[in-house]
Amino acid sequence: MEVFIENENNVTTARFVGRLDTPASQEVAKSIEPILENPTGTIVLDCKDMSYISSSGLRIFLTIRKAAAAKGGNVIVKDINNDIRQVFMMTGFLNLFEIQ
Amino acid sequence: MKKIIEFFKDERMRDTWSRIALVVLAAIILEATSFMQLRFLARSTHREAMLKAENVLSTTRYEIMEVVEEAEQAIRDNMWIAQWCLDNPDSLKNVTSRIVEEHTAVVGSTVALVPGYNKNLPFFAPYSYIRDGEMVHTSLATEKYNYPAHEWFIEPLEVGMGYWSEPYLDTNGGNIKMTTYSRPVLDPKGTTAAVITADVSLEWLCNHVGRVDIYPNAYSILVSRKGKVMMGPIDSLAMQFSVQEMAEMMKDEPALPKLVDDMLSGKRGSVVIHSPQQGSTSTIYYAPVPRTGWSMAVIIPEKEVFKEVRRMGFLCTLLQILGILMLIFILLSVARSWTEYQKTKDVEIHLERELEIGREIQMSMVPKVFPPFPERNDIDMAATIVPAKMVGGDLYDFYIRDEKLIFCIGDVSGKGVPASLLMAVTRSLFRNISAQEDSPAKIVEGINRSMDEMDDETGMFVTFFCGVLDLHTGHLRYCNAGHNAPLLFTDHIQLLDVVPNLPLGIEGSMVYQEQQINLLLDDALYLYTDGISEAENPRQELFGIERMEKVLSERRTAMEHLEAMKAAIDDFVEDAPQSDDITMLFIHYLNNNTQINNMARHLILHNDIQQIPQLAEFVETIAEDKNLDQATAMSLNLALEEAVTNVILYAYPDGIDGLVDIEAYIRPDCLEFILSDNGKPFDPTAAPDADITLGVNERSIGGLGIYLVRNIMDTVSYRYENGKNILTMIKKI
Repeated sequence: MEVFIENENNVTTARFVGRLDTPASQEVAKSIEPILENPTGTIVLDCKDMSYISSSGLRIFLTIRKAAAAKGGNVIVKDINNDIRQVFMMTGFLNLFEIQ
Repeated sequence: MKKIIEFFKDERMRDTWSRIALVVLAAIILEATSFMQLRFLARSTHREAMLKAENVLSTTRYEIMEVVEEAEQAIRDNMWIAQWCLDNPDSLKNVTSRIVEEHTAVVGSTVALVPGYNKNLPFFAPYSYIRDGEMVHTSLATEKYNYPAHEWFIEPLEVGMGYWSEPYLDTNGGNIKMTTYSRPVLDPKGTTAAVITADVSLEWLCNHVGRVDIYPNAYSILVSRKGKVMMGPIDSLAMQFSVQEMAEMMKDEPALPKLVDDMLSGKRGSVVIHSPQQGSTSTIYYAPVPRTGWSMAVIIPEKEVFKEVRRMGFLCTLLQILGILMLIFILLSVARSWTEYQKTKDVEIHLERELEIGREIQMSMVPKVFPPFPERNDIDMAATIVPAKMVGGDLYDFYIRDEKLIFCIGDVSGKGVPASLLMAVTRSLFRNISAQEDSPAKIVEGINRSMDEMDDETGMFVTFFCGVLDLHTGHLRYCNAGHNAPLLFTDHIQLLDVVPNLPLGIEGSMVYQEQQINLLLDDALYLYTDGISEAENPRQELFGIERMEKVLSERRTAMEHLEAMKAAIDDFVEDAPQSDDITMLFIHYLNNNTQINNMARHLILHNDIQQIPQLAEFVETIAEDKNLDQATAMSLNLALEEAVTNVILYAYPDGIDGLVDIEAYIRPDCLEFILSDNGKPFDPTAAPDADITLGVNERSIGGLGIYLVRNIMDTVSYRYENGKNILTMIKKI
């Protein structure tokens, strides 16, 4: 799992590549710390290349969402595949995030 | 009483008793016979003695009569000469010397004139007698002798005929004891002129008659008219006694006076007298001697008569006592040996009972209700133990835990009680260790280690085979500890590939190698001990693997297989005794689910989160096996990851290495996953569901994992068993 974070025009994009399983989530948790430190503006979580997400991955998404909500930031989940969409639906995350 | 009944109930003893009874009966008959014989002998001896006595009595009488006859004859023959010589008395000495000379029985003779018959010779009695073989002539007409005063002179004149005098000692001749026969002599005118006599020496008579020799101490006596003893056992006693005096001396004997009366009155008969002084009984036979007035008696002491009988009786009694002693000795030794036999038998019975109890206990240790799992249709099993002795050293055991058949077979070196004890130990160790251990190698190692700790010095060991068959998957893990390789039935029969390893109880630290195969529907295993492969017939041939395979080649149920095997062995060994325990276990795997798709996948992870990617691979393989779509595969992966993560993160304390075991069963209509761990008991299904309707701020971070598991899987169940958390998850396909 790799996470690429870009910041452009007050839009922070985190691109997840690979499987966001439990061990991956532990690494990702460190990678996204900059976002959590300044969760303002628009945060885009790009999931086009993410093939899998576990509950720990979902927890990372929720952490970001909560942090943004506290600071008035906006979180957009982008390009999730159908399988992950199923997981989002199952967990009620579809209602928590703006999905594009 | 009970004992006696038991005693007689005993076949062997009944036989022995009847024999003893026969012996006793025979002895009694023999005794009775010999007693009768003795009685008969005594009676006939008595009769013989009587006959002998009668015989000797008449013989003696006859001999006496001969003498009497001769003396009387001598007088008769010379009577006319004496009459003729009366006128010339001097010639009378020719008559007397002629009588003495011509008759040996006559020792002396006289013709004594009646005083006054001859005017010239008022007293005249020429006497001739033999002294020292010479004829001597003398006269009895002396003043000193005064012959007319003597009985022999007076009595015949009185009775006017021949007369035998009482015995007397003749002082005139040669001082000899004698009796005299005398007769009156008449002259031609009929006047009594003289008395003519013939003296008979008692000693001579005695010698002539001879001694009674029918019995050593028998004797005869001759008694005169008045009872004087004329002839007796001792010569010197003659004339010393009279029978009346003897009767007087033996007053105690009432038969004696009658005897005296009878004898003196000339009767004949016999009488038994008892002499208290001598303590003896005698029979006296008596009869009169005609013309003389004498009586003859033969005295026979009973002791003499029955001497032989007594000796024989004594001998018989001695022999009989010996016989009876021997009989008693035999009876005693029979009784003693019976008692000993009984004692030994009691001990034997006691031991046998204990052994029987031992056998029952031993048999109760192994499952012996067949079929053992009637509710299951995926397994057909049968097992049997036939100990060579009352208790044996073979064992088998099996049970189902967590859908796994855990089984073993073993053979303790040696037989009998020691082997049976080690067998019991082995079996308990097997049960204890296998309760928490699925790995056959670990079970075997555990048993081996425990045995090593027992520190026994018997040098006994156990060959052992342990298997764990996953009934869902047919996956069989097994470990062999020096036991015979079982037979494996697939489409053919072959020996299961086993690493020999060492038997149990030899090296405690031994690491045992585990092996595995997959059983398919209708596969089977036949486990046995060497009591079967090495069953021996009288020609010392072994039963062998080939015969086993032949018996098992037919299609039968597990129980029928074992029965057929037992029958085949019985046929083979003929009448040879069973030398070793015979134990076998037949496991027929009949699980339909294992067809093609029913394959098991197994993954063991450490409690390290970095191992999670292995789970993805594991699920992928299963997805491929089952041709699952991407979405389903991913959701299965997700559910499993959540469940496994839960264990990895929370089941074991920090820093402790633990395992999580994941088994996957691929069934036609579903997938079943079983997660198990040895961590602290935790039931994830009991956790509350996450509320997915809450808003961002209210949503909690945790609780999603188990929520996902529940949502993805169709069935989720938890149980804690044998120290394990077991989570079973089923996903319908």
